[in-house]
Amino acid sequence: MAHKNSQKRVKPEDRKKKVIGVVARGCTTRSLIIHLQERQYERDDVCIIGVPCDGYVDGKGLKVKIGGADIVEGTVDGGQLKMKTSDGDKTVALKDVLAECCLTCRFNNPIISDVMIGSPAPAMNPDAEYNDVKEFEAKSIEERWAYFIKEMEKCIRCNACRQACPSCYCPTCFVEQSQPQWVGIGEDKTDTQVFQFMRLYHMVGRCVDCGSCVSVCPMGVDLRKFLKKIDKDCFEMFSNRAGSSMEDMPPLGKYDEHHDKQDFIYNP
Amino acid sequence: MARRKFATLKSFLNYIGVEGDRTIFTWVSASEGDRWAQVIKGATEKIKALGPAKKMVKTIG
Ligand code: SF4
Ligand code: SF4
Ligand code: SF4
Repeated sequence: MAHKNSQKRVKPEDRKKKVIGVVARGCTTRSLIIHLQERQYERDDVCIIGVPCDGYVDGKGLKVKIGGADIVEGTVDGGQLKMKTSDGDKTVALKDVLAECCLTCRFNNPIISDVMIGSPAPAMNPDAEYNDVKEFEAKSIEERWAYFIKEMEKCIRCNACRQACPSCYCPTCFVEQSQPQWVGIGEDKTDTQVFQFMRLYHMVGRCVDCGSCVSVCPMGVDLRKFLKKIDKDCFEMFSNRAGSSMEDMPPLGKYDEHHDKQDFIYNP
Repeated sequence: MARRKFATLKSFLNYIGVEGDRTIFTWVSASEGDRWAQVIKGATEKIKALGPAKKMVKTIG
């Protein structure tokens, strides 16, 4: 799948435009499950053609790796990516240029489908999925804040992350919706921090780690560092992995009185 | 569920560098006057110890 097309996400409004057949890899099926859980359409409204997935290439990372050369043509041969570029022929190992979300993907095989194509793809390396988050958690609070503001300072509020995200399907985002407008839409530093914080937080139980936001961001903001924390918390606190099962309810829509921890409650 | 939202919000704020002690959540019933006073006193002390919030605060003008 060409990189550009692989980034085209399925959003609920696409279904209204009568897109009823969806070619879906693992993370796409997670998005579809989320849409279904959130009652955006009915299961019968979509025909899901499942494709096992070996991951996609992180285009920006690849470009850096090959010294900024333009890629004219590329083929995958075994574990190698062979390219004709403006700077001659180049070969890189596929595992060195896969997107981060793919390297540690837990659900590279479709979770739901009506028709499956091909044989199941080999497992990626999900055991490593929270390594980055654990490392970040171990830093001091001031270091963590410094990193957050440094990343948010790169953001130009182009909203590409929001456009690309399959879970960001609100016709009008909270940012543009609230009256008075609490969060400005310009490049004010605080507005940007608040917008990003809230968008990220809206992903509790909803981010499927598809990497679309990361891959479309023109400024290379490290969104995944924050999204993976949300995913980790959701799993550790509520044993939920976003969109991983049709039987699950959205984790913020329920409560488990026997297993939910109480330690966040203030008891003087 | 509000409680799950608070649990994740508190944890996420702390992760990005906003002290977890600033997000305070508890239950107080309308009949628990004493407890209400205690909660407010405790929360005020916690916040005073941390000092004014400067993170994600917008200055206009
Ligand atoms: S937040 Fe990013 S990684 Fe998560 S579902 Fe949205 S686009 Fe995908
Ligand atoms: S950030 Fe929240 S309100 Fe805005 S589009 Fe995404 S899910 Fe909707
Ligand atoms: S895509 Fe990147 S630069 Fe654009 S709004 Fe999102 S984080 Fe900011």
